[in-house]
Amino acid sequence: MSQPNGFTESEERLALRAAVADLAGRYGSGYFTARARAGEKTTELWAEVAKHGYLGVAVPEEFGGGGGGIGDLAAVCEELAAAGCPLLLMVVSPAICATVINRYGTAAQRQRWLPGFAAGTTKMAFAITEPDAGSNAHRLATTIRRDGVDWVLSGQKVFISAVDEVEAVLVVARHVDASGQRLQPSLMIVPTGAPGFSYHSIEMDILSPEKQFTLFFDDVRLPADALVGSEDAGLAQLFAGLNPERIMAASFSTGVARHALAKATDYARTRAVWDAPIGAHQGLAHPLAHCAVQVELARLMTQKAAALYDAGQDKAAGEAANMAKYAAGEACAATVDQAIQVHGGNGMTSEYGLGAMLAASRVARIAPVSREMILNFVAAHTLRLPKSY
Amino acid sequence: MNIVVLVKQVPDTWSERKLTDADHTLDREAADAVLDEINERAVEEALRIKEAQGGEVTVVSMGPDRATDAIRKALSMGADKAVHVSDEALHGSDAVQTARVLAKAIGTVEGYDLILAGNEATDGRAGAVPAMIAELLGLPQLTQARKVSFDGSTVTVERETEEGLTTVQASLPAVVSVTEKINEPRYPSFKGIMAAKKKPVNTVTVADLGIDAGEVGLAGALTTVLEAAPKPPRTAGERVEDDGTGGTKIAEYLVGQKLI
Repeated sequence: MSQPNGFTESEERLALRAAVADLAGRYGSGYFTARARAGEKTTELWAEVAKHGYLGVAVPEEFGGGGGGIGDLAAVCEELAAAGCPLLLMVVSPAICATVINRYGTAAQRQRWLPGFAAGTTKMAFAITEPDAGSNAHRLATTIRRDGVDWVLSGQKVFISAVDEVEAVLVVARHVDASGQRLQPSLMIVPTGAPGFSYHSIEMDILSPEKQFTLFFDDVRLPADALVGSEDAGLAQLFAGLNPERIMAASFSTGVARHALAKATDYARTRAVWDAPIGAHQGLAHPLAHCAVQVELARLMTQKAAALYDAGQDKAAGEAANMAKYAAGEACAATVDQAIQVHGGNGMTSEYGLGAMLAASRVARIAPVSREMILNFVAAHTLRLPKSY
Repeated sequence: MNIVVLVKQVPDTWSERKLTDADHTLDREAADAVLDEINERAVEEALRIKEAQGGEVTVVSMGPDRATDAIRKALSMGADKAVHVSDEALHGSDAVQTARVLAKAIGTVEGYDLILAGNEATDGRAGAVPAMIAELLGLPQLTQARKVSFDGSTVTVERETEEGLTTVQASLPAVVSVTEKINEPRYPSFKGIMAAKKKPVNTVTVADLGIDAGEVGLAGALTTVLEAAPKPPRTAGERVEDDGTGGTKIAEYLVGQKLI
């Protein structure tokens, strides 16, 4: 069968999706919500996904990875979420951290970290957001300064995922010179056990096995090789990691949306209170069809963003990744909301598991970059409108 | 050990399966096509034997062009190469014709020691093809295996049927068909998926196998489907409200159905 060039995924990509969906289907949303409710992690799922090389798909083959791209990793992320058991750390560890280290790390850093990312045995968190800067990389207050051959890191981060599950955190901080002048931001690998580094969980009303943390760096001393990439490379290097993050977040969201949509349509096909199943009523059928359109459009844009990124077109990928993240976040929030509506009272029961998805689906509009910041980006970069900030 | 595994693409058991009105053959458009799960187990067993003893695993399949997907899945799990018999003339072939074609296709694989198959496909459910192939090739048949082991050139099989458990033994080469108890098949790894497309698939016609097109297909089949009716829709069932007598009512129902 011939494939319309560029608008469908390759046979290998589809086979990867099928394999991951098969594996994840054996765990499912029952497993995921039970773990999350018990305050437990989905460790064995992560391990099994890792064992088949699905977490290392985008790591180069020379380091034991699959030699694929972000598009492959995003497909894995989406299928897990679509099966009801999303792995949030995928958005961070193999997508941001492995990508940045692979693209900008030294030979020694790549050798040190990439085999672990390929095997899924290394988990690394990512920390950029700060209490007073939000996602404004220009206003980041966390600093690094030189002290002899070492680096010294100080500052604070907030809303950092899964720090209790990782061996290190990739921290965005700004260099300061001897006169205290703030310079370009860089990325530092900070082991979670480093003296002076402490973290505290933030109580969240989101049902998720991964917790959120506030991080404190109190003059954390780091070796010279903690720095990834060059000291003055600035934002370009950072966005090498943030574009994959957006693509992954979009895939995570479209997967969650697909899961909710499948639940809603299953229910609408079988639930009947008069003679016809409720799915026959246009009052429910049309909103679900609208959700399906939104989800599919978001998926298409996500795949475009991934294809551009994997083709090395960082600038075009940035625009597409932002648009994909926006569309996916909206599709996710709208679809979970509609799925609950279709279920009526059952939509809020623990048994159906949709209420449990509600807060998480709302996060898709906020993190890792808010809907408003994406619209700002599109206004300024795509439409070339003047900036207000 | 060189192993041939027979695989078949079948309609997904989870989807609505239909026969066509025209000739009562499988309506391939009606359902998603997948590698039969019992074949995944046969492939898995072959791969485990290969991993323990070395050798090569060749997948043999008969089916239309799109059976390539099922073959590719077996290759992505780790099989080395494939023979795909694809020919319009095969449409509507019965079990005997299928066995003849597969026996010839197996003949194109050099130096095999073992032929592995699922004991019965989820669609046709004849459960006869492995035995027929053994007969055609003059090989011992060890069907319905739940465990397979080797000692030199001897294969030993735990055979499980409704009558019970038997241990059967034969010298290689032999035909072994496996049940769903044999193993849990692996998921293809990402590397396996990426490698599968580069593995050789030898696509052949019946003429390539030295078979006259008139000997296969619906017209010459020994069995004929005279009539087919869709299965009745699922009924709502009987709901028992538990007002303290629920257990008794369920027991009464089961007694009524002669189940207890």
